[in-house]
Amino acid sequence: MFSRSIGLCFFLFSSIFFSVAQDCTVKIEGNVVDEASESPLSYVNVYIQELQLGTTTDDEGNFSLENICAGHYHFILSHIGCEGEKLHFDIYGDTTLNIALSHTPTSLGTVVIAGKKEDYNSQANLTVNRKIIEDNANQNLSALLENETGVHLIKNGNGISKPVVHGLYGNRLLMLNNGISQAGQQWGNDHSPEIDPFAVDNIIVLKGANAIEYGGGNLGSVVLAQPKRIAREPHLHGQVNYIFDTNGRGHTFNTRMGQYTPAVAWKINGTLKKVGDKRTADYFLNNTGTEEANFALQLEKSLKENLFIDLYASTFNTKLGILRGSHISNVNNLEQALQQEVPFYTEPDFSYGLAAPSQKVSHHFTKARARYFISDEKILELVLAGQLNDRKEFDIRRGDRSDIPALSLKQYTFNSELKYSIAFADSWKLKLGNQNIVTDNTNASGTGILPLIPDYLSWRSGLFTTLSRVKERTTVNLGLRYDYEDQLVLAISNTFPREVVRYENSFHNLSALLSLKTKLAKKQSISWNIGYAMRNPAVNELYSNGLHQGVSGIEEGDPSLSTEKALKNTLEYKWVPSSKLALNVLAYHQLFQDYIFLNPQNEIRTTIRGAFPVFRYEQTAASIYGLDLSSQFTLGKSLLGLVRYSYLRGQDTAEDVPLIFMPPNSLFASLTFRAPQNKSRAGGRVKIEDAEIEISNRLVFRQNHILDGQDFLAPPDSYNLVGLKFSTDIILLNYKFRCFVKADNLFNVSYRDYLNRQRYFADDLGLNISVGLNVKF
Amino acid sequence: MIKNYILLLLAFVTAFTFISCDKDDPVIENEEELITTVNYTLTPTDGGEAIVLTFQDLDGDGEMVPMISSGLLGAGKTYNGVLELLNESDSPAENITEEIQEEDEDHQFFFQTDIAGLVVAYSDTDADGNPVGLSTTVTTDAAASGSLTIILLHEPVKTADGVSAGDITNAAGESDIEVVFPIDVQ
Repeated sequence: MFSRSIGLCFFLFSSIFFSVAQDCTVKIEGNVVDEASESPLSYVNVYIQELQLGTTTDDEGNFSLENICAGHYHFILSHIGCEGEKLHFDIYGDTTLNIALSHTPTSLGTVVIAGKKEDYNSQANLTVNRKIIEDNANQNLSALLENETGVHLIKNGNGISKPVVHGLYGNRLLMLNNGISQAGQQWGNDHSPEIDPFAVDNIIVLKGANAIEYGGGNLGSVVLAQPKRIAREPHLHGQVNYIFDTNGRGHTFNTRMGQYTPAVAWKINGTLKKVGDKRTADYFLNNTGTEEANFALQLEKSLKENLFIDLYASTFNTKLGILRGSHISNVNNLEQALQQEVPFYTEPDFSYGLAAPSQKVSHHFTKARARYFISDEKILELVLAGQLNDRKEFDIRRGDRSDIPALSLKQYTFNSELKYSIAFADSWKLKLGNQNIVTDNTNASGTGILPLIPDYLSWRSGLFTTLSRVKERTTVNLGLRYDYEDQLVLAISNTFPREVVRYENSFHNLSALLSLKTKLAKKQSISWNIGYAMRNPAVNELYSNGLHQGVSGIEEGDPSLSTEKALKNTLEYKWVPSSKLALNVLAYHQLFQDYIFLNPQNEIRTTIRGAFPVFRYEQTAASIYGLDLSSQFTLGKSLLGLVRYSYLRGQDTAEDVPLIFMPPNSLFASLTFRAPQNKSRAGGRVKIEDAEIEISNRLVFRQNHILDGQDFLAPPDSYNLVGLKFSTDIILLNYKFRCFVKADNLFNVSYRDYLNRQRYFADDLGLNISVGLNVKF
Repeated sequence: MIKNYILLLLAFVTAFTFISCDKDDPVIENEEELITTVNYTLTPTDGGEAIVLTFQDLDGDGEMVPMISSGLLGAGKTYNGVLELLNESDSPAENITEEIQEEDEDHQFFFQTDIAGLVVAYSDTDADGNPVGLSTTVTTDAAASGSLTIILLHEPVKTADGVSAGDITNAAGESDIEVVFPIDVQ
């Protein structure tokens, strides 16, 4: 959403000055600055694709190209540490281009041409840009966030992962796909968000206290996955991506193309993926393959000068295998499996085969949005969206029933959203909005197994208002939100004989936010953010009932749970003294009242299948605090360094014991060397550009903040993974090819990760070499 | 013109608020895979009355406490053991034993006891010649008391070391049944 408004700025405020000139004597001058520090950016490559002509900015960020013929050109801008940008301009005469390039990790990733970036969002955030997405989309969307500060992943094997931001995940973390909260069975730790990373242009994580306008029910951070607005680009352009992975012998193929025409602007995106058994350092992880087929369509049209309509439709379909040796049935089974050095059922041969246990998930998404610019100050926006999440989970069953899903859930979600924003007085902006979400969750019959999550129909309506002001050095942001949720739940009793039990609940949630950001002297800024939020218990926490095969425990909801409350404070300090250095320190603390968690009980329940531990949803007081540190620096014109550190502690303050399943601390560092560039590009049909070598290191510490006996198995030791990547762009016959070779876990270390549920049974992934090819046309 | 658009949009939103607020009752699943009852019938080879060990839990994973019978065996005797599995949540009760017989290559019972001299030997095999355990021979020695655990594994690795001799250690597989009977040998 945010980047769209930037896109808009680009069109409204483009300062392209034209003057009359003769053919082929046109002079193009320009200046490139770093968006965050606003200081000049040197060594930026500026290249005109059609003319195969380019130059590099000087120490003041200036460039000039002379004796250019008038015409339609594509400019390619690239710089170490930046996402390359391609812009289309019609050049009629002498032209001056003022360009702000997002270069540091502290800014949102996109280009702004001489426009003022909208900076109402004073919350801490981070962005994963398109270049990173393209180079890593052989993984799932969550995995792209793995190396960011304050973000961790909960995994189940390696195909399935979900993000954890500042210790919160699942029901507490809001994921927005294209501005709409991603529906589906978000409660499950073994459920990935069903979004194709290739369909997304950037992923933004808002780490502040509360994102008021994005929908209630979350307790803090928001992950936004969004495509960009379609570029105002009259020619058909697109790209083809292919990535091969040695580990899993995976093939990922993607193509996207789009065009801006006066009638309609369109973009399509399609992805196919097939991965077989992954491998640890020492053995295959049998039945851990993935198959995926995704498609997305984006349409934009301006009906009048002040009425914009856009449509988005996507379908995501996946089949995921789950390690056969991690499928266990009772406490004794689990104990046996835990003692295995190599998991049961490990075979010496690789296979693409996918058998039970497995998941088959489809997610269909459609969204329509209309934006009406009543005047320069007033904007009205309406969004309607619908989603269908169809999840089937297959277990190993008796009597040829392995093909019948053990869990089959269909969830329909309908969203409507109406927003009004008005700019007034002296730099004030007021936003008012209403959001409604109806969720209809149904267990398909015929599974032969009592559902873990009951059927339900829930209705949520929210009203919010935010008031913000960006003036000179200070940004103020105030927000208030109220949500009403109504749940109608139709559970099946687990007593005998079975019967249907109806529950009706209603909840009222309030959230509030205050944030202040001020620019200090010497390119420093400090922001403080305080937010209070309430989250009513979700249906799984209230009524889940039965055996959760994945965790080998009986999980019981508690219908008497009350609403969870949280107060979060963040304090962020940024220092961007030049385009060569950026430093970002973020401290946070979140206090919870009635924190809902799954608590292991003293009860061991005897059933005919053996003994099972019982877990019940309970509430306690809790506290989570931490520190995110990140720094980026450039040395000379060819060396870029990144350092990121995340520290986190979670404590049950009522019982004074650590919270389980909290991310361990981690340190990521990388160093990129870029080959020096030739200033002039003329001559030669093949050109090598932006050749880079990157070496990275991820150190994940052991989670020591946990007591003996809080988990089946003690947390695994710390581990250190080294990565190496070589990438280059090749320009050949007017096409831009990007190639990379990337090694993850270069030294083939065997390790286990605390937040990967598969750690009870098997090691994590060994060496993987990916080879990627990207062609832009 | 613009007004019409706005009216249309508002109509959408209004329509949205009238989506049905009720939902049909779910279908109660026929839990055909559920095993509620294990009967282990021990018939003395020298004649006499058969002893039946029964484990019954009608509500599956629910809170209801299962009914478990205890067994009184004679010292120094031999019994023919026959296992029967039922799903009594259905009416009439479903016989699961047949299902196990049909898939006997994928199933094996394991018998574990802490009573010295109590030996359970397989007296049946599957098509591959590996034991199943639906039929067994039980021999007792001196008087003692303890327990007998019966485990049914689905997809065990029957060829793994010791498995066909009744050792579960290397068997892998999932437990379909794991029941414990208190036993007295007198």
